Formats: sequence, C-alpha cells, structure tokens
Amino acid sequence: MSATTTQVDLETRMSLQDFLYREALALDERRFRDWLEYLAADIRYEVPVRVTREALADWELAPTSRIFDDTKATLEVRVQRLETDFAWAEQPPSRTRHFVTNVVVDPGDVENEYLVQSNCFIYRSRGDEPTPSFYSLFRKDTVRRAATPAGWEIARRWAAFDQSLINAHNMSIFI
Amino acid sequence: MTSSSVDRSLDDELQGIRQGISEGRFPARAFNDQQIYDLEQERLFSRAWCFLAHESEIPAPGDYVTRYIGNNNIIVARTEHGDISANLNMCRHRGNMLCKSEMGNASHFRCSYHGWTYKNSGELIGVPYMKEGYEGRLKRKDWGLVNVRVDSYAGLVFGCLDPDAPSLEEYLGGFQFYLDFYLKQGGEGSEVHGPPDHWVAETDWKICAENFAGDGYHTPVAHQWGFNLGYFPSSGSTHSQGWAASIPGLGHGIGLGHSPNFPPFGGFPDDLAERMRASFTPEQVEVFSQVRTAVGTVFPNLSFLMQPFSLVPGEPGVRFVTMRLYHPAGPGRMEMYSWCLVPKDASQEYKDEAYRAYTLAFGQAGTFEQDDFENWTKVTRAAGSTMVKNVDFPYIMGMESERDKDFSGPGHVVRPYVNDTNFRNLWSRWADYLVGEV
Repeated sequence: MSATTTQVDLETRMSLQDFLYREALALDERRFRDWLEYLAADIRYEVPVRVTREALADWELAPTSRIFDDTKATLEVRVQRLETDFAWAEQPPSRTRHFVTNVVVDPGDVENEYLVQSNCFIYRSRGDEPTPSFYSLFRKDTVRRAATPAGWEIARRWAAFDQSLINAHNMSIFI
Repeated sequence: MTSSSVDRSLDDELQGIRQGISEGRFPARAFNDQQIYDLEQERLFSRAWCFLAHESEIPAPGDYVTRYIGNNNIIVARTEHGDISANLNMCRHRGNMLCKSEMGNASHFRCSYHGWTYKNSGELIGVPYMKEGYEGRLKRKDWGLVNVRVDSYAGLVFGCLDPDAPSLEEYLGGFQFYLDFYLKQGGEGSEVHGPPDHWVAETDWKICAENFAGDGYHTPVAHQWGFNLGYFPSSGSTHSQGWAASIPGLGHGIGLGHSPNFPPFGGFPDDLAERMRASFTPEQVEVFSQVRTAVGTVFPNLSFLMQPFSLVPGEPGVRFVTMRLYHPAGPGRMEMYSWCLVPKDASQEYKDEAYRAYTLAFGQAGTFEQDDFENWTKVTRAAGSTMVKNVDFPYIMGMESERDKDFSGPGHVVRPYVNDTNFRNLWSRWADYLVGEV
C-alpha cells in the first residue's frame, strides 16, 4: 500500500524521475547496450499475464504466468539477438515512444532503494503500417542508488499490461 | 447447404483445391479469405473435435474457463460431481452472455439480465417470477444451457458441436502415441504452469497449424539468430535429420527432429526420465529416445512443441513443452492461447526453470515466437491481395518419399524431418471438411 503523502525529498524524486526518462530515451533510441547499463546485475524483469476475472476474484494478474520473466543474463541475450542480422521481428525496427507519467516515489524496503511506481504508455509504429499500436502499463520498479554514471540502477521492474487480450502480434520491444 | 451460384462455384473451386493438394499445390488465398473463413466456421469448426481446456486448468469442483469453438463462446466447468461440462455461454431466456470472465470458480451462473440461474453443468435451476409470470407453463428442464459434447484424452478436454461425429479416440486415430510425449511427462503426466498467454495477431490460424505440424524447414532461417548465438543442439548441416509422421486421412502430423549425439531424454531430470521410460511403451521409448524436437498439430488448431532450451546459449538446458490454440477470429485474424506444460511430479525448481525457458523462447515475448509471428503476419497480408487469387504454393517436398518401415511409431512416417508430407495430409483433411465430405 502506497503512503498517502510524500516521504521522499524533492531532489531524490526529481533525480529518479529523470533517471526513468533517460532510461526510456535509451529504449526509444534503440541504444540497448546503454539501456542494459541502467539495469542492476541482479535485476528481475517481470511482466505478468493478466486474466479477465470477476471483481471479487483473488487475483487478476496471474501469480505464475509471465510474458517476460527475465534476469540480466537473459535480457543480455535479447539484446544480443537484436544485434544479429536475423532478429526478423525487429526488421525493420519498431519505432517506440515510452511516455512515463504519474511517477510516485516511496522509500524501499532497504536503505538506498526506492519503490518507484509509474504509468507507462507505449506508442509503437511498424514499417509502413499507418495504424500504430498502443499499450498502457502500470510499472512498479525498485530503483537502487549505484556508483554508475546515472547514479541509479533498476533492481526490479514489474510492469502489468492493462489489457488481458493483448493487441500485439509479438512483444519484441522492451517495457 | 445453400445452393446459391456463388457457393456452388466455391464448392467447385474447393474440389479443385482438394485435387491440387494431392498433386502438391495449395492456394495462397486460403490464408486470408472471407468466403473460406465463413465456410470453415460452418463446415469445419462445427464438426471437428476442438480443444477447449487442459484438465489442470480446472482442477476443483466449480472451476471454469471460457473458451471458443469456432465463433461460439463456451463455458468449460468442473461440476460438483467432478466431471467436466461444456455449455454455450448464453442465457436461454434472452441470450445474454452469462459468464464474463475468462476463469474462476462458481457453482452456478446467474444471468445479469432477468436473473435466470443455472448450475455450472448447464441445468436451469432458478427463474424469477416463475409462478406469477410463467403460470406453470415453463418447464425448467427444457431450458438448460445449450450443451456441448465433450471428451478428453490425457488431460486434454475437447468439445464437438456435431452429435454424429465419431468418438474423440477415433478422431485422434493413433496420434495419441506422439501426444503422450507432451502430455505424460514424468510419472504423473503434465499440468499447465498457469493461465495462457493470450494475444491477437493479424495472422491466419492455418499458417500456425501448418508450421507446428512439423515445419523443420523454416527453423534454420526464421530462427537463424538462435543458431548464430549457439542456442541449438543441432547445426544447420544436421538440422534436416529426423522424421515427419502423420495420421493419413485425419490431418494430424508431427515433426521429430533428430540430432546425432543428443542424449536420449536429454533435458529432463534423471528421475523423471526414468519414470517416463517405465510408463511409455517400448515403441514410444525407442522413438522418443531419438528425438530432440517434437513439434505437432492436432487437426485443426491445437499444437505442441517440446524442445530442449537453455536460458543462456551453450548450457545443457531443460525440455520445455508449449501447447497452443489458434482461435480463428476473422479472415487472416486470430487469437493465440499459449500455455507451458510442465511435469506434475517435477520439483518446483524444475517447473519454474522450464517455464522461464518457455517465456524466453515462446510465449508472446519469446525470442522464437517473435520472429514466427512477424513472418506469419506478412504471409497473411500477402494472401489477402487480389493478384494472389490464382496463385498456388508448392507442397511437393517428399512427394516420392518411401515410408520409413523401420520406424516404431504409427502413421505414415517419412524422412527427413524437412518435408511437406504432413502438410499435404493436413490440407487434404481440411479440404474434406470444407467440401462437406466428413
């Protein structure tokens, strides 16, 4: 449960928000090697499967089903794949724009970690298709202070689509 | 059947298509065409045994999922007696959708329009103002939900809208021999790891059905990055090795990829492999010991893949199994349901590892799946263009192949793995349904 008032100082909040914007810029500019630099070595990167359920059901986000269930090593494999000439899903590349808004920062469970919640709206354009795809997600990241140029690293990314039946023939982009 | 001139000409055309299949041709337009889509709804999905659910999705009384057969939304529920019942998701009073969620648990369903209430087995049990409104003229037993015939094999629940269709056992016709590889992992069989990935694609369901009926041919190119990064236990030079097995006349087919030096049952924990050796027939053990990849389709739209895969290239990896259902949602459009099946009696650690291998390779963000759907949406797009009306594709690989008489598995079995034999069988069964001769 998120606190109802802000417990984190303005400078930290601004710094974390700026960090998320720069991370999104790396993705949208397809600088995937730079993007990996924003991720902690022990990152858990998860996107659960959403199921349409009744209002009072125990869960709507499946406890065991994941669209992405990645570590730093497997995210590196995904990036390495995109660097080959044979990643047909991204030939030609998707043009993405990540709109990150409603950033809410709370103290994390351990010192120097913050729970950073945000809304993420992704515009994706493919080839000469005039109709883009849109995906709306809620993200709950754990971001840690780090001795990296950015000053932060993502220790956990958890992002849930707001759709249960997803309007994408594939998910060859990052969230 | 209608007797309009348009339909007659389509019927004539389908007879020609059927003839073409036996000669190694199949028309491109079949993969994106309104008339063919309509006919599939009318003559194929309303008669064939269609996959509904895996029993492990609805283990407890009251558990249900909603799925489709053709364009019909079906509630598949475990009743209070423990058996499985399937019914059209439509109130018999005025046709409202009864159940609006994809899964859950309910002993009964109450319509949100006028309140008619049914047991999850479909029996009508509650009618508001029964006495005042219907004055004793409504017999509850006459107005239960529209029931769907169901049967199951090794955890797979199928439904059939045709009361006169032959049994599921007859329909599968020996393909069970191969399905056991996916469905009887370990000593206690397979279960779903969780609810399926579910997404839409501008892809015709038949392209997926064909690919998974054993398209070993596409792998070294469509998934070239995997070979490039060292992901495959086979190389481009050995990849064609293996078998294509099909059940003649029934449409089911499986590709069995073989890699020299790949260990028998490789990727399974030793104790699970031992249990499988004990529970499979000697013929199944012999066949399975030689198989690296098993990729098969149950006609019309259910497929499986078993593949050893490591999260990072070069490691031994695990065997993951995916099961997928291609729900036709319009000409050239489908909904994909994709599950991971894990051995029930495996450790949680192994199940989770197999699941992670599945998500990295298949599933909506899977690195192999991504490239497949990119190709398939492009095939579909081309198939809908006007110039394609009279264009055929070649299906002549393996036309002259002799049956491999030394192979221990059933059906028509040929070598190598790279072959069109399964696809000719798949499309000729499809054509049988579409011309109305099933």
